[in-house]
Amino acid sequence: MTQNPTATTLDSLAPGRTALVLDVVGEDRLSKRLSDLGFWSGTRIEVIRRAPFGDPTQYRLQGYRIALRRAEAQRVVVEELR
Amino acid sequence: MTAITLEAPMTGLGEVTAALVGRQNAGKTSLMMHLTGQVQKPVNFPGSSVERGESRVKVGEFVLRLVDLPGIASLSAVSPDEEVALDYLTGTGDDRPQVICAVVDAAKLTVELTLVANLFELGKPIVVALNKLDVAEAEGRAVDVELLADALGVPVIPTNALTGQGAEALGHALIRTAHIPHQQLQRFDPHAVAARAQQVSARSGTRTFTDRLDAVLLHRVWGLPILLLVMLGMFQTLFSVATPFMDLIDSGQTALGDAVASAIEPGAVQSFLVDGLINGIGSVLIFLPQIALLMLVVALLEGTGYMARAAFLLDRPLSRVGLSGRSFVPMVSSFACAVPGILASRIIENERDRIATVVVSPLMSCSARLPVYVLLIGAFFPAKAGGVVLLSMYLLGIVVAVLVAFILRRTVLRGPSSALMMELPVYQRPSARVVWAQVQSGCRDFLVLAGTVIFAAAVIIWLLSYYPRPQELHDHFVSARDTAAEKLEGEQLDQAVSVIDDAERAAFLEQSFLADIGRFIHPIFEPAGWDWRTSVGVVAAFPARELIVPTMGILYSLGDVDPGDYSVDSLGEPEAEGGSGLRDVLKTARRADGSLAFGPLQAVGLMVFFALCSQCAATLATIRRETRSWKWPVFTFAYMTFLGWLGAVLVFQVGSALGLG
Repeated sequence: MTQNPTATTLDSLAPGRTALVLDVVGEDRLSKRLSDLGFWSGTRIEVIRRAPFGDPTQYRLQGYRIALRRAEAQRVVVEELR
Repeated sequence: MTAITLEAPMTGLGEVTAALVGRQNAGKTSLMMHLTGQVQKPVNFPGSSVERGESRVKVGEFVLRLVDLPGIASLSAVSPDEEVALDYLTGTGDDRPQVICAVVDAAKLTVELTLVANLFELGKPIVVALNKLDVAEAEGRAVDVELLADALGVPVIPTNALTGQGAEALGHALIRTAHIPHQQLQRFDPHAVAARAQQVSARSGTRTFTDRLDAVLLHRVWGLPILLLVMLGMFQTLFSVATPFMDLIDSGQTALGDAVASAIEPGAVQSFLVDGLINGIGSVLIFLPQIALLMLVVALLEGTGYMARAAFLLDRPLSRVGLSGRSFVPMVSSFACAVPGILASRIIENERDRIATVVVSPLMSCSARLPVYVLLIGAFFPAKAGGVVLLSMYLLGIVVAVLVAFILRRTVLRGPSSALMMELPVYQRPSARVVWAQVQSGCRDFLVLAGTVIFAAAVIIWLLSYYPRPQELHDHFVSARDTAAEKLEGEQLDQAVSVIDDAERAAFLEQSFLADIGRFIHPIFEPAGWDWRTSVGVVAAFPARELIVPTMGILYSLGDVDPGDYSVDSLGEPEAEGGSGLRDVLKTARRADGSLAFGPLQAVGLMVFFALCSQCAATLATIRRETRSWKWPVFTFAYMTFLGWLGAVLVFQVGSALGLG
C-alpha cells in the first residue's frame, strides 16, 4: 500500500501543511469511523494547529474542522502536497 | 401550500411518525424543537439512545410524531447508538417510522450525503432537511438546493436550526412524503452528487471568522490563559449571581418554617413539617439557582462552539489520567456544586470517560464544604495561615480525584483509551430557544429528583433524629421552664427559656436514634481522635454536609453532658450561641476526663474528612439518575467515605506520632 515514497502518516505532518489522503489503515471501528468522517482517498486535508500540550491536532477537511489525537491520525496515510 | 386531499395514514387517527436521523452537530435536535414548538432535551445524553426523544405537532389535518434518534455517522451499527437507530429504522413492529427526515449539514455535504446514501438503502420515504446553508456559504461551499433535490430525487427543504426557518415547510413535506406509496429511491454516488450541487469556491479554505477566532482561542500560549479566564468568570458568576437567590430561598424557608412553627402546636407534627419537610425541601431547593446558572453557562459554551475548544485544549492532560477533554467542564462546575457538574457530564460521549468523571466530580470541594472549612480554620488556625489551609483542602480534592480516575480507568473502568475525533463546529450565536430548553431540562430533572429520592432521605433522617421521645425527658424540661418562670422575669426569663430550649433540643438529639448510630459507629472514628459528639455530627451530616455546623452547635454548646444526666444547671454560657460562639466552644470543649475534645489535628482531620467524604444525598441521587444504576452511587459513597475516614485517621495518627497538635 505505502509503496509511494512520499507517503507518510497524518500525525507526522507539521501544522500549516496540506496533504491528500491515500488510505486509512485497518478494518476496525476506528478506521470505519475515520471513513465516516470523510477521510477518503483523494480527500484534501489541512493541518491547522496542535493543542498547547502537543496533542490533539486540529485539521480541516471536507469543509469542516476536526480534532484528532495522534493515535488516530497515525491511521491515516497521506501524501503531502507541496 | 396547495391543499392536498389524502386518505388517512396507516397508523390511523391521522398520525404520521417521522424519524429524525443525522450526525451529531447537524442540528437535528434544535430543528425538532422548532418543528414542534416544544421544549425537548437537546442534549444527546447516553441512554437517549434507548429513550429517544419524542414530540408531536399538528400539521394541517395530521399529527406529526417526531422521533429524535441519537446522532449517528453511518448505519454500519458499529456503536450502540447506531445499532439502536438501525433497529428502529428497520423495525417491523407497530412503532415504525413512515418517513425519514435526514438532517444534513450543508457545509460538509459530501460527508453528509454518504449517510443519506445509507438511508436510501432502507427503502423508506425520505425528506432531506438541508441545515446550516448560511455556514456553508460563509465557508465558500454554497449549495444549490434545487440541483441537490433533482440529483437525489427526494424533497430537499432548506432549514435553519438556529432561527427555525424552514421548519414549517419541513413538517408539510414530511406529511406529504409519508403518503407517497412508493418514493423512487435511486442509488447515488455521494461524491458525484455533492460535486454537482455544491460549488466549492476559490474562497473555500481561506480563513473565515471561525479560523480567526480559533487562532486566538486555541493559541499555543494564550489558549490556556483565556480558558482559565472563561472558567473564572463562570465560577464567579455561579457564586455571585446565585448567592442572592440562594439567600432568598433560605430566608423564604426560614420564614415558612417560623410561620408553620407558630401556627402549629409544638410536637411531632410541627417538627416533621419544619425540621423534616420544609428543611429537607429547602436544603435541596437551595441548589436550584446554581444549577440553573450552570446549565445556562454550559448551554452557552456548547451553543457557541467553545466547549469543543475547551476539550481540545485540555484533552492531553486529562486523557493521561483516564478522563477526556470533555471532563473538564463538569469537574470545574463541581467546585460550585457537584449536582450540576454531574448533569454537565452528559456532554461526554464515551461511557467509561463519563462514568469516571461522574464518580470523581464529588471530590471537588463544593460550596457546601466551605462553611465547615471556615468554621474549623477560624477556630484552630491563625488568620495568616487560613488561606493556605483552605487552598490545600481544594488541592487535596483535585489530587485525589486525579488518582481515583487514574486507578478506576485501569481497574473497574478499564477499556481502550477512547478515540477523540471531535468536530470543532463553527462559532455561532446560540439559539435562545435551545439554551432555554437546556436550562429547563436540567432544572426539571433536578426537581423531580428532589421531589423523590432526596425528600425520602430527608424524612428518614428526620425520623432518626426526632425519635424516641421519652416522656420523662419532656416532663423534665417542662418543669425546668416552670421553675424558671417562677423565679425570673423579663429579659432574664427569655434568656433562661432560650437556654432551656437549646438544652432540650440537645438532650433529645443526644438520645435519638441518630445519636445512637453516632455512638455505635464512634469506635470507627476513634483513631481519628474525635469524641463522640463529632462522630454524631458527622453521621448527622451524611444527607447534607453543611448539617454538621448546626448539629455540632447543638451538641457542643452544652459541654460534655452525659446523655443520662439532664442537668439544666450545667448549661453553657449565653456566649455559646451563633457561629462565632461555636468556634470558641470548639476550642475549649473538654471530654468527660477533662482533656481537650478538639485540637488542630482533629480539626484538620475533620476538614480532610469533609473534603473527601460523600455527604450529600442530592449528589448520590443525581449519580443514580445519570448512570441509571445504583452501582455507581453506592460505589461513590463507599470509596469516598473510606477515603475520608482514612484521611482523618492518617492526619491524626501521623500528626500525633510527629508530636504535632
